[in-house]
Amino acid sequence: MVEFRNVSKRYPNGTLALRNVNVKIAKGEFVFIVGQSGSGKSTFIKLIFKEEDPTEGKVFVNGYEVSAMSRKEVPYLRRSMGTVFQDFRLLPDKTVYENVAFAMQITEALPKEIRRQVPMALALVGLSRKADMYPSQLSGGEQQRVALARAIVNNPSLLIADEPTGNLDPETSWEIMKLLTEINHRGTTVIVATHEKSIVDAMKKRVIEIDKGVVVRDQQKGLYNNEDKNHKIYS
Amino acid sequence: MKIRTIRYIVKDGIANISKNKLMSLAAISIVVASLTIFGIFYILILNFEYNVMNLREQPEIQVFCDVNLDEVGVKLVENALTRNSKIKQITVVTKEQAFEKVKEMLGDDASVLEGIENDFLPVSFIVKLYDPEDSEQVMQEVEQITGVASVKYPQRTVEFISKFSNWVQFVSSILIFVLLVVSVFIISNTIRLTVFARRREISIMKYIGATDWFIRLPFIVEGVVLGIIGAIIAFLISGYGYSAIEGKLTNDLAKIGVNIISLIKIHEIGTKIIAFYVILGCIVGAVGSALSIRKYLKV
Repeated sequence: MVEFRNVSKRYPNGTLALRNVNVKIAKGEFVFIVGQSGSGKSTFIKLIFKEEDPTEGKVFVNGYEVSAMSRKEVPYLRRSMGTVFQDFRLLPDKTVYENVAFAMQITEALPKEIRRQVPMALALVGLSRKADMYPSQLSGGEQQRVALARAIVNNPSLLIADEPTGNLDPETSWEIMKLLTEINHRGTTVIVATHEKSIVDAMKKRVIEIDKGVVVRDQQKGLYNNEDKNHKIYS
Repeated sequence: MKIRTIRYIVKDGIANISKNKLMSLAAISIVVASLTIFGIFYILILNFEYNVMNLREQPEIQVFCDVNLDEVGVKLVENALTRNSKIKQITVVTKEQAFEKVKEMLGDDASVLEGIENDFLPVSFIVKLYDPEDSEQVMQEVEQITGVASVKYPQRTVEFISKFSNWVQFVSSILIFVLLVVSVFIISNTIRLTVFARRREISIMKYIGATDWFIRLPFIVEGVVLGIIGAIIAFLISGYGYSAIEGKLTNDLAKIGVNIISLIKIHEIGTKIIAFYVILGCIVGAVGSALSIRKYLKV
């Protein structure tokens, strides 16, 4: 599903964000990317949806070499995945319904399809009753749920979340994580970058830890901090 | 691109105008201001050209036939003139008409002509050209026609008018060009403000996977609609303004007895001006939007 092959990323200002990263994520997995801020996990996420290109190595998504795609192909890559961000990134001038529908309009979906899919996505995140409200009228947790609905409305095979709970209180964070788990159970591959220890520890999913641009741990059913040194791999 | 997408894009573009009322108002005001200034010059130029054209129309070439040329010969000369593609119109002055003219000119002394047949005057043609610039050449050509005795032509006046008219056109095209560039610049800067205010929205659309054109087109629709609204308002202002000025000026000119200069009536140039404004408004709005959004599409 997602593969990093000898990937390094150096920003123009000289920062080496990733160093020779090799990671394989299979279809249907739920993966946490953990690490402190500045560790390179955001860069890892950005390389998947081609906000950045690697300086060296190759990135594959769904069998396509993302790092070799042209600028024109990027929109189509991004439609094949759902993205959720810490700051929600909703369109302020559109209602909840319109925000979710927008993700389908850009794919030139049939109006009939839009009218069927959008309410379903909103029902999944529990926001059917707030469909006509604007993002500014919603709480942070609700806004993130709208973003989730938008991310899944096109039934993507991959969902990427960069610090999805970063702006939310613990209780709301759990709601979001439950939704992500449910989306994963429906067959979508989910990749979550986070530094929320309690969530990672409780979920017991695969954990990839990045430190100073290097993958220092890749562990099934892992915790945020590594207690079992045997699982630690260095590359 | 599918029809439903086009419908979405047009709807979104128009919706954005009412969502960003203040910016839209600013953009429209600038379109109105630029187009009105532009229009003042344009109307001035149209009037110049109109008057120059009137003056140009007046000079004519006079072609005199041999006095003894018979009717067939005259007919042949007439045919030769008609065949010349540079000649717009010919009028025959028969021996009788020429005689009447001479009589008129002599006035009280017309009695000297008593007992004289009108035979002594030649048949002549008054020739109008499409373009006075051709006069030199046409004169040479006409002199070659058998049966033509002489050709007369008020050369200096026409040369002067011709040069003056070229000069006016040259200056006016430079002026129009400069004004056009200035207008595009001001308007694209105003639209840049509305794009800047929405750069976050643009980046969000890119994250979801919208193509550049899907993002760009609503802005271009918005720019074009703002341009058209501006063009209509500018037309109302300059149209009413001009017809008021034209009415007063024509009146005043008549009072002081000037009849060489005349102003075009608004209904004669109205369609020209509105077409000009709308086309210009559209281009300026579309180009302005496209230019100002370019930078924010690189996410």
